[in-house]
Amino acid sequence: MVRLEGVAKRFPGGGGVLGVDLEVGEGEVFVLLGASGSGKTTLLHLVAGLHLPDAGRVFLGGKEVTHLPPERRQVGYVFQDQALWPHLTALDHLLLVMPKPDRKEALGLLERVGLLDHAHKRPHQLSGGQRQRVALVRALARRPQVLLLDEPYSALDPVLREELRLEVRTLLKEQGTTALHVTHDPEEAMLLADRVGVMSQGRLLQVGSPKEVYLHPNSLESFLAFGRANLLRRDGEVLAFRQEWASPGGSLIAEVLERRELRGEVLCRVRLEWGEAWVRLEARPGERLHLKIDPLLHFPAP
Amino acid sequence: MTHNPPFARAPVAAWPWLLAGLLALPLLALFLRGFPALPGTAKDLDVVLTSLLLATAGSLITLALALGLAVLGVLGGVGRTLEALLLLGYLVPPFVTSIGVLYSLQAFGVRIYGVPGILLAWALHYAPLAYLLLKPQVRVALGLLAAARVHGVGGAKALQVFLPPLLPPLLVAGGTLYLALLGNFGVPAVLGLPERVYVLPTLAYARLLSPTAQDPLGEAAALGLWLGLLALPVVLLGRAGLLEAKEPLLPPARPAYRLPFALYALLALLLVLLGLLREALLNPYTGAWDPVFARALDLPLVQKGLRNSLLLALGATLLLLLLALALRPFPGLLRRVRGVLDLHYLLPGTLLGVGLILLLAPTPLYATPWLLLLAYLLNFAALALRALEGGLGVEGAVLAGRVHGLGRLRAWLRIGYPLLLPSAFAGAFLIFPLAFAEITLSALLYAPGAETIGVAVLSAINGGLYREASALGLVLMAFSALALLGRPRW
Repeated sequence: MVRLEGVAKRFPGGGGVLGVDLEVGEGEVFVLLGASGSGKTTLLHLVAGLHLPDAGRVFLGGKEVTHLPPERRQVGYVFQDQALWPHLTALDHLLLVMPKPDRKEALGLLERVGLLDHAHKRPHQLSGGQRQRVALVRALARRPQVLLLDEPYSALDPVLREELRLEVRTLLKEQGTTALHVTHDPEEAMLLADRVGVMSQGRLLQVGSPKEVYLHPNSLESFLAFGRANLLRRDGEVLAFRQEWASPGGSLIAEVLERRELRGEVLCRVRLEWGEAWVRLEARPGERLHLKIDPLLHFPAP
Repeated sequence: MTHNPPFARAPVAAWPWLLAGLLALPLLALFLRGFPALPGTAKDLDVVLTSLLLATAGSLITLALALGLAVLGVLGGVGRTLEALLLLGYLVPPFVTSIGVLYSLQAFGVRIYGVPGILLAWALHYAPLAYLLLKPQVRVALGLLAAARVHGVGGAKALQVFLPPLLPPLLVAGGTLYLALLGNFGVPAVLGLPERVYVLPTLAYARLLSPTAQDPLGEAAALGLWLGLLALPVVLLGRAGLLEAKEPLLPPARPAYRLPFALYALLALLLVLLGLLREALLNPYTGAWDPVFARALDLPLVQKGLRNSLLLALGATLLLLLLALALRPFPGLLRRVRGVLDLHYLLPGTLLGVGLILLLAPTPLYATPWLLLLAYLLNFAALALRALEGGLGVEGAVLAGRVHGLGRLRAWLRIGYPLLLPSAFAGAFLIFPLAFAEITLSALLYAPGAETIGVAVLSAINGGLYREASALGLVLMAFSALALLGRPRW
């Protein structure tokens, strides 16, 4: 459905994407995960036609669209800042972008996201969550070949964010919509993605299922993209493991230095032979433990 | 290798540059004609020095006044109504300010012609402009001061964090004031000419009308070049160094600061208004109630002036807004054209006026109202373009429309232009009153029989019809107040 071949775009002030190859299948929810400035949003802009690539080709639905203006690419876009039109009502947003404006269908979409009673309200009369829902159904209203979502929940409070992202995933799957979703939140990536692509410094480092990339990162950057990382240096290499990969038993000696509780889970700061680390297990400060870390990843030191 | 699609192709053609060059022709004509006549007579050089000193002194006085007002405004949390009261002083045409101040002080036996009068009228008229420029900057600087006080820095030491960051904004605001004062014609025409205090714009005007001048156009062009030379360093100064902060840390507003602010705004307005009202409503000999409005509006020159000014101002406003709307979707072209148009607005109007005479005197356009319309278009175009540059997020909203399938034209028609309407409305209410009461260009370029209201007021003063001039000043004030309606509300 979406195919990128060697797509590159550099900006005079730095940043951009460097030769990305990617294929997203029909009905798939693909999440691009990476830190700020890694090139995720640029990649979405290249798919949408908001930027033109310096090199490479973009295909949507098997047709090359590299040279097409945004309005001829048939994509839907949920922008980070929503980009709603302040002079239009929620219903007008949908009618304006529909190839054949159909009031009944538009109202149906609004009803689907619980906004039927707000159909005639303008953006400033809606709450943050309602605005984000309008942005979502506006993007779906033109029946896009691919839906592009650029950190759509970043401006929302945590409760609403959690509620909305599950709702969106259900909606996308119900409609069989292909989606390319950008986020820097590993939890969001794990929750929403059929497949994840990790981006760093303009490159697509690894593509796979969320579990695969989480458990078997192919680089230190991929490993770090999922957060909760312990990095310890030893003999020119970096030993990396996540807090939850440590468990009692095994041959490693650990001295517990500090204990903290965080949202129902206990984290301990421990001293290992290679340095200090945070691990998720129950222990008391001063206690000496035998630990097993599995997997323990080895990366060349940067 | 990819090819740029037509929609994204940058406007690299030469014609925007040609257009920009065409728009700059009046300045080129002025340079070519004025350069051989430089440096001018000893009297000219005296006037150059007077202009420089007066504009510098006026800028410093006005800047100090505006800084005080800005500090009071921020600390007092002054609201829109009080600010509008202050702003009204700037919307009144400067020559009307002069007439008002003159007659108000005459009531107390104070004769205010000459340098003191010019400086006072300038300070009263331009302090609100400087206030508007300085207030956001003072807000940030006071935030820095508050942060310093939180960390225990007080007294004179605290000024170290307040004043140095304010210096670049003060320089920018001072530069804007200097340009405005240097090019101002109305105030020195009303308060300077009777005392034979000339500045460059009034001397150029006098030379053009002088029956004894050997080469009036060449001499006026040379004076215009002097104006340009005095203005150029400030035009090049730019706007670097302005302070920015999203939410400066400020102490809660203290109403006590509003009182001196309100008193100043009221006194400044009354100083202009009372003199005009007294002259327009009371018989100066008997002190009896004798309104002169009907007589003033009945003067044939005034009737013509009102009609012409109305048509010219309406025509210029509409054409400029249409032009600005048409150019808005083409930011590259807009930038090139606006570079020249900014010069026409920033540089003293005398340069443009004399330049247009030099350029168009041999054409049928000369001595017709169309020449004045062209001058208004060139002079106020920068305002129209800047007004429509507002509406932050318009580009993003249009792009969002295009991503969702709307063609470029439809996206602008359905999304971009509706979002720009408040800015266009504000622009219209800014340009119309300025064009309606314009005097610098119209004094130089009016066609016989097609005088503007500004020229009519000036003629009334020169003809000794002071009461009628005051009544007309009040009418112009009322028109100028219209601009307050255009303050953006979104």
